[in-house]
Amino acid sequence: MSRTITMLQAINEALSQEMERDDRVFILGEDIGLSGGVFKVTDGLLDKFGEERVLDTPLAEGIIIAASIGSAMMGLRPVPEIQFADFITPAVDQIIQQASKLRYRSAGGYSCPITIRICCGAGGGSGLYHSQENAAWFVHEPGLKVVMPSTAYDAKGLLLSAIRDPDPVLYFEHKSLYRQAKGDVPEGDFTVPIGPAVVRRPGRDLTILTYGLMTQFSLDAAEQVSKKGVEAEVVEIRTLAPIDKATILSSVRKTNKVLVVHEDKKTMGFGAELAAIISEDAFEDLDGPIMRVTGPDVPPIPFSPNLDKAWQVNTEKILAGIEKLAAY
Amino acid sequence: MASKSNRAVMEPETDRSSHSPELLLGLYRMLVKCRMCDEKARILFRQGKYKGNFYSGVGQEAAEVGTAYSLREDDWIAPSHRDWTSNIIKGVPLKFCFAQLFAKTTSPDRGRSSPAHMGYPPLHVITPASSIAAQLNIGTGVALGIKKLRQDAVVVAYCGDGATSFGGFHEALNFAGVHKLPIIYTVQNNLWAESVPLRLQTALTNLSDRAKAYGFPGFPLDGNDVLAVYDAAQTAIARARAGEGPTLLECKTYRWYGHSEIDPAKYRSKEEVEAWKKRDPIVLFEKQLFDKKLLTESKKAEVAASITDEINEAVEFAEESPYPEASELMDHIWG
Repeated sequence: MSRTITMLQAINEALSQEMERDDRVFILGEDIGLSGGVFKVTDGLLDKFGEERVLDTPLAEGIIIAASIGSAMMGLRPVPEIQFADFITPAVDQIIQQASKLRYRSAGGYSCPITIRICCGAGGGSGLYHSQENAAWFVHEPGLKVVMPSTAYDAKGLLLSAIRDPDPVLYFEHKSLYRQAKGDVPEGDFTVPIGPAVVRRPGRDLTILTYGLMTQFSLDAAEQVSKKGVEAEVVEIRTLAPIDKATILSSVRKTNKVLVVHEDKKTMGFGAELAAIISEDAFEDLDGPIMRVTGPDVPPIPFSPNLDKAWQVNTEKILAGIEKLAAY
Repeated sequence: MASKSNRAVMEPETDRSSHSPELLLGLYRMLVKCRMCDEKARILFRQGKYKGNFYSGVGQEAAEVGTAYSLREDDWIAPSHRDWTSNIIKGVPLKFCFAQLFAKTTSPDRGRSSPAHMGYPPLHVITPASSIAAQLNIGTGVALGIKKLRQDAVVVAYCGDGATSFGGFHEALNFAGVHKLPIIYTVQNNLWAESVPLRLQTALTNLSDRAKAYGFPGFPLDGNDVLAVYDAAQTAIARARAGEGPTLLECKTYRWYGHSEIDPAKYRSKEEVEAWKKRDPIVLFEKQLFDKKLLTESKKAEVAASITDEINEAVEFAEESPYPEASELMDHIWG
């Protein structure tokens, strides 16, 4: 049985069902218990599971992640929350120096099965420190898995996969999708595997490689250019690390043109890596330059509505990118 | 040095005459073993037998042995970079410890970690990182896991005075205080954070005072008096096992050599170093054992000889072990 629910409900349901299924799973973070989360993602879980499994923590991201790593070494399955991706920096030492390296440096003697839920992305006026989409920071670190769903279905299925995964997974949730992304989601247990990208819209003329909120915008843009006779294939890279090269390359070999779309900044962004992969493995298949529509290289997302709007990637900017690329 | 009032708090029921001869001689042998292994590791480094670096803990043995000696197999330790010998105290076979120095396939991690980062999962030795205080944070997480699983194991987590300035130190202690976690934070205050003297690290006289901020007891100890450390640790461990929460032990001690083997430590005065060498924790303890007639010159020589044999065997094992094949480079990145 499935029914239409929001991404937010899907995440809450996945947490609740997995905590019921596996008593090693517990959640911890700032304001997740009594308040049910800033966006109410964890609403109701404290009442259902009690303080021992729904832990409101001190406001200290480093120890939130370290406490998770240590208890994972004891065989538990912690799911810590980073309230805003902007606040992850104090925990970066634990994530990169500890979590990502633990299995490798101990030759498999220790492992670190934690799932870090991270609320990210521009939400229209959220300002400098509640808006960043910085998943790419972590893609650079082998040993970490990085996922970002854009549908309610994937939100549940990927979260269940993440919690059951033997490695540290960074699970990015885009705040603009929490209530906006709605869809059919099975009531019961199912998983979406970590790894595979998905072709959201087939097309013959060019490939859009994207993830997160930008998947929606890219699909909107693809529908619009379709009326002008340009068929864009939209590939959603639900798992940023490890990356699904096969699906990406197969689409590139079909369309021969690539537009990368992401919300994050341009320089050294995920798009740069995609361009490098394609250039290394599918150079002969390209009929044009790999182009990027991304957030600008501006240090923070500014607060003033006009500046915020100017900053954001939107359907119009993607359309412009498509038209430029299609002209090659 | 520990004040009498603090010692009185820590040792309400401890009568030093109650320590069994087996315990005293066991502590003695372990002190000597740590000293000899550490000195051997230094020699091997200087001989070019392994690369990287080594962070000697010579002079600080009483702090490590006193806290880790009586731990159970299911207890955990979270060493810092200077606590390679804590593996030995926890019971890791010597051959694996030396194989770790040489980064051979027979080391617990098949040659991945440098000597400062040795851990041993089967005996619950956490792999240290060079990130300051990281092991305290991970150790705190392990203590959370122990509590959640309703076990009665404990964690002994080590750091130097330098780590007590780092934010992560405070996050860890605060969290452990909130949840009354079974962990004993052991600060080996050797007065120098690499080359930075204590007076530029803290306005405190006793680093153990930091525990007050987190709602659990902290005690300044003579870190060169193995029995003072042992007794304090026993009280702290019992408290942790009983679910009463963490303790901070500040072991005031001194590292005899530089921060690492490439540090001549010219920032310290010769007088300071010599004064501390006169308070050698092993010599101090030997005197007590001679007074009790538990130790004789011949017994002392016997202990040293048997440890020498053990070390030689371990070094031979390590030297003869192969290096990992290049083909192992990409193993164990993901599970």
